[in-house]
Amino acid sequence: MTTERAFLGDLLASRAGCNRRSMLQQSGMGFGYLAAAALLGELSAPVRGAETAFERALSAKPAHFPSKAKRAIFLFMKGGPSHVDTFDYKPKLQKDDGKELPFDKPRVQFAKTGKLLGSPWKFARYGQSGSYVSELFPNVAKHVDDLCFIHSLHGTNAAHGGALLKLHTGSDAFVRPSLGAWLSYGLGTENSDLPGFVTICPTLAHGGVNNWGSAFLPAIYQGTPLGNASLPSDQATVRYIKSASGVSRDVQREQLDLLRELHQQKADSGLVDDALDSRIASMELAFRMQSEMPLAEDLSQETAATHALYGLNDPRTVNFGRQCLLARRLIERGVRYVQVTHSDAFVQWDQHADLKKGHEKNSKEVDLPIAALLQDLKQRGLLDETLVIWSGEFGRTPVAEGSNGRDHNPEGFTAWFAGGGVKGGFHYGRTDEYGYYAVDNKVHLHDFHATLLALMGLDHEKLTYRYAGRDFRLTDVHGKVAWDIFA
Amino acid sequence: MKASHLGIPALFIVVVSVWSTSAGLAQNLDQAAGAAALSREQLSGRIAFFESKIRPVLHEHCVACHGPEKQEGGLRLDSPAAILKGGDSGTAIEVADPSSSLLLVAVRQLDATLIMPPPPAAKLSANVISDLARWVEQGAQMPMDAASEMGPAIKKPKIGKEHWSFQPIVRPSLPSLPESQWDQNAIDLFVRQAQEMKGIGAQSEAARAVWLRRITFDLTGLPPAVGEIEAFLTDRSTEAHQRVIDRLLASPQYGVRWGRFWLDVVRYADSNGLDENIAHGTAWRYRNYVIESWNEDKPYDRFLTEQIAGDLLPAETRRQRIDQLTATAFLAMGPKVLAEVDERKMEMDIIDEQIDTLGKAFLGMTFGCARCHDHKFDPISTRDYYGLAGVFKSTHTMDSFTKIAKWHENDIATEQEEAVRRAKESEIAELKSRLEKLAAEGASDAEKKMLSERLEALQKSLPALPTVMGVKEGSVQDVAVHVRGNHLALGAEVKRSFPEVLTVAEGISVVPEQSGRLQLTSWMTDRQHPLTARVMVNRLWRWHFGKGLVATTDNFGALGEKPSHPELLDWLAAELIDSGWSVKHLQRLIVSSATYRQSSERNVASEAVDPENRLWWRYPIRRLEAEAIRDFLLASSGGVDLARGTSLLHVGNREFLFDHTSIDKTKYDSHLRAIFLPVIRNHLYDLFDLFDYSDAATVQGDRGSTIVAPQALFMLNSPLVHEAAQRLSERLQSEEFASDGERIQRLHLQVYGRYPTDQETAAMLAFVQRGGGDVKGDRWNYLCQVALAANDFLYVR
Repeated sequence: MTTERAFLGDLLASRAGCNRRSMLQQSGMGFGYLAAAALLGELSAPVRGAETAFERALSAKPAHFPSKAKRAIFLFMKGGPSHVDTFDYKPKLQKDDGKELPFDKPRVQFAKTGKLLGSPWKFARYGQSGSYVSELFPNVAKHVDDLCFIHSLHGTNAAHGGALLKLHTGSDAFVRPSLGAWLSYGLGTENSDLPGFVTICPTLAHGGVNNWGSAFLPAIYQGTPLGNASLPSDQATVRYIKSASGVSRDVQREQLDLLRELHQQKADSGLVDDALDSRIASMELAFRMQSEMPLAEDLSQETAATHALYGLNDPRTVNFGRQCLLARRLIERGVRYVQVTHSDAFVQWDQHADLKKGHEKNSKEVDLPIAALLQDLKQRGLLDETLVIWSGEFGRTPVAEGSNGRDHNPEGFTAWFAGGGVKGGFHYGRTDEYGYYAVDNKVHLHDFHATLLALMGLDHEKLTYRYAGRDFRLTDVHGKVAWDIFA
Repeated sequence: MKASHLGIPALFIVVVSVWSTSAGLAQNLDQAAGAAALSREQLSGRIAFFESKIRPVLHEHCVACHGPEKQEGGLRLDSPAAILKGGDSGTAIEVADPSSSLLLVAVRQLDATLIMPPPPAAKLSANVISDLARWVEQGAQMPMDAASEMGPAIKKPKIGKEHWSFQPIVRPSLPSLPESQWDQNAIDLFVRQAQEMKGIGAQSEAARAVWLRRITFDLTGLPPAVGEIEAFLTDRSTEAHQRVIDRLLASPQYGVRWGRFWLDVVRYADSNGLDENIAHGTAWRYRNYVIESWNEDKPYDRFLTEQIAGDLLPAETRRQRIDQLTATAFLAMGPKVLAEVDERKMEMDIIDEQIDTLGKAFLGMTFGCARCHDHKFDPISTRDYYGLAGVFKSTHTMDSFTKIAKWHENDIATEQEEAVRRAKESEIAELKSRLEKLAAEGASDAEKKMLSERLEALQKSLPALPTVMGVKEGSVQDVAVHVRGNHLALGAEVKRSFPEVLTVAEGISVVPEQSGRLQLTSWMTDRQHPLTARVMVNRLWRWHFGKGLVATTDNFGALGEKPSHPELLDWLAAELIDSGWSVKHLQRLIVSSATYRQSSERNVASEAVDPENRLWWRYPIRRLEAEAIRDFLLASSGGVDLARGTSLLHVGNREFLFDHTSIDKTKYDSHLRAIFLPVIRNHLYDLFDLFDYSDAATVQGDRGSTIVAPQALFMLNSPLVHEAAQRLSERLQSEEFASDGERIQRLHLQVYGRYPTDQETAAMLAFVQRGGGDVKGDRWNYLCQVALAANDFLYVR
């Protein structure tokens, strides 16, 4: 941070007329610098108040209140994992398997459903906290005392697209900035050579880019995707990071030098403005990113033990394991927010039928890597300052769809947090005795966002951005922080 | 509150702040409490705090039992006067000793016998309680006007009819200025007058080559050809500039450029986006309609009318009818939540999107805000909103709301297409009857087989008749106010109507048997309408100069910016209307002005006075738009195809572009101009996404121009740039030149539209000649990559 602060100081000083251009070219300016340029719009002339705009966009910004979590990793389970088969144990559901649901189903439902369907998996208690976890997550279960469960999450949209958008942006009806974009906007970046928000193998369906977009926030805050859900994670990298025609790094250096020389000629004749300066600087940053990003992505730097820990030696866990390990490497380098999506060419956790087969395959793929990530972060002393979040876009119904499936259920489902200032082995909120509706200490997705921001030190009511004459928030006019889960 | 607990005698000093609507805030009177008198700002801040934090809480949690219907404990909390009065047991608020206020004791639940809100209601949140405490501690300031009941929101709009953009358009007289060589037309008089008032001197004219590149990109989105540059630089007649302007305005590529701007305004897209991303397989017909409408200079009032009510207009020819139906795709192509399980909600969401788009696109008004509550800032009420909602509820946009919902398609076959189909159909019918006859007569299988094979082939070749997404009249009905926007909480029905504050003339109102769209367009294009022409001329200015006279192109309401040159804006608006709404007439005026012809060079003196160039003392340096960058990359290497495109989607209408597989199958490798490339919501083409193309989520009249590192990666590394550089390099090397210096000169003409300086030539020559191990051809490729990555390529001066 010191370099960036120093840079800001220099920059401001240079407004008085010293050699700003060469300083720009030599200093370690990062994404933040360019964000500032973007914020200033046309930049066709020195803009009044530019200092504050620079300042806002550049530096790692102070949080609104003290917080333990400095970074976050969101493990997103696409498709809607069933809470009643994983982390929300409902003995009554097991007992009443095959009976009618004794209360009304929601007014709007996604699909037609029938009678109560008991979970095909056994639950057991784990850890000091004695928390229940089903046999689907034997490895994660070993960490229950670090997990903080929210059992009363609920949303409003019963379709994947709407629910994904609501979870990621707070709105299913309008294009709004994503959670990660708000976080990078609120907290800035810690590494000026890497983006502040990275999303690994995101799904392109159901909201697609909007789930990591910046909407009306400056483009600098949008997520940088590495690959997408249709590609295996060993192909996940930043677009255009390599020269299409194999131009060597040395030649590219020469090319940039020529660009700078031509630019300097213009500057000497008074034909250059801030935007043109910024653009030359952006070329230099891109050049540096070309070496930084591959380093972050290079898993061969990790030991064999780490590879084994994350399940990289097992074909079932290698894909998601690699994503989790990559997330840790990015977090270590100061990336503020990393999303890891568990999705492939299907809607992954969406078991309208064949619940047993589907959930067993899915949990097998993620259970070990998630446990490895928790363990690894802990070993490295990173878990305290890293907030890990696990959730789907909704849960599943306790009633059956067909004979052996479950429908979407946004009325009540479970997410968990780990690390970053939450109470471990803690359970917050409750669904009814069958797990259909959230009933106790209900946490709406807006509340979930407010809580998540608060864990990162941000007040969701103060984190605003003025656009088209209005102050916008991630939580719109809603949001209640679940303070009880804070350690 | 329970009466028994409100009997504590108290030293209660009423703190009254008076809200006087005529004089603003009056004096505050709490000297007795020992507090210093508040400044106006402090007082208004505290009132604002009450409005945003306290009033809604009282309304939501207290008024049901302490209001007009019930008065538990004789206490009402539904108006400031009642709050001050207290209940049977006395006062509820103690400003002198806030923590003993019964209101706070009750909500803090400090006394087991005084718990508010009473169980089973949950305790108020810690935030809310601390807000209440803060409010009492700061003197319990409230507005004291009679109408101030504890409603959920502020009722009165902040601005009224007096807002500048609601005033009639009156053509201002031209400023008279001393003779000046600079002035070319009326625009310049207004611009110079404003500059002179600030002591800004006139800027010099742009170099001819610079102006040519500027205007060629501006009017066609393409670079000037080398021949055009040479011809213009040698044409020394006084009409040289005008001839270029006329040529470009008449070019078929003009509509490609300017139609694209309009597509931003109408959030044009080839896919639905939002939750289910399926193909708008026929939207391209609307896109082409827009291009041709701009090319033929369709009067703007007509253009507007066709897009909102084209299906209701009479048509002289079938072609005209088809165009008018196609235009209504404007209403149909918004992003929709097509898998919304709640069908009634989906319908109201679609109507909302239509109203929102129509308001912003044509009127610069954010009507959408009034769906849930009276507009907070503009004089638009929920009644106004639901008056408009009735118009669109009476319009048929969707064939089905069942997930995945289907939008309506209008039939647009030509007579010829119909004739072809009819002929085939009758042939099929004839074959069928012959087959039946043969079967009855017991003909041989071979005979029957031959005929049925022919029948099958014919049926397969039966051409589908063309359709285009759009609207038609639905069942005419009025809509009830949806309380807080909720379709399950209906209030009073509102007759279909247009916003009251913008009433233009008597006699324009809906007719009972129609949706009202046609009357809506008459209202919008009435020459008395204060917004339509202003909004459009401002858009044109924005697209020519990079910033509007009103900077917020899509918001002319209270939250929008004020015009920098109000008289110029009105003069242009009047000129647009008086010219018969000729857009090209307006544009000709703009690009013929001296203001447009100025140099973009910096000027220390002017910059000191007006650093943001709001007075237009220079032409702004502007980055090319995404589509111009893409077309330029192809054009500079000879690879752009100037033909008209149809659909470049790889799937049929209503089919999935993105399903669960996340595989992107859309191709962008066509050499047609960028406007014809698919616009996929939620997943724009990389280049579009990187360079601030509209994402078609909403009306976009003022695209950003960001500078981010991923753009640089694209220019350094992408196949598109490398291929363009390669082609450019090959062409340069295959042509005969007297020297490499001349080759570099040609490169400059082609890419920068000008001759190089000696310094530039020297630097580039040195670059080509360096590189010991490289083949010479490679060096030229590398040089061309640099030429395309340079600012001079990407920016117009």
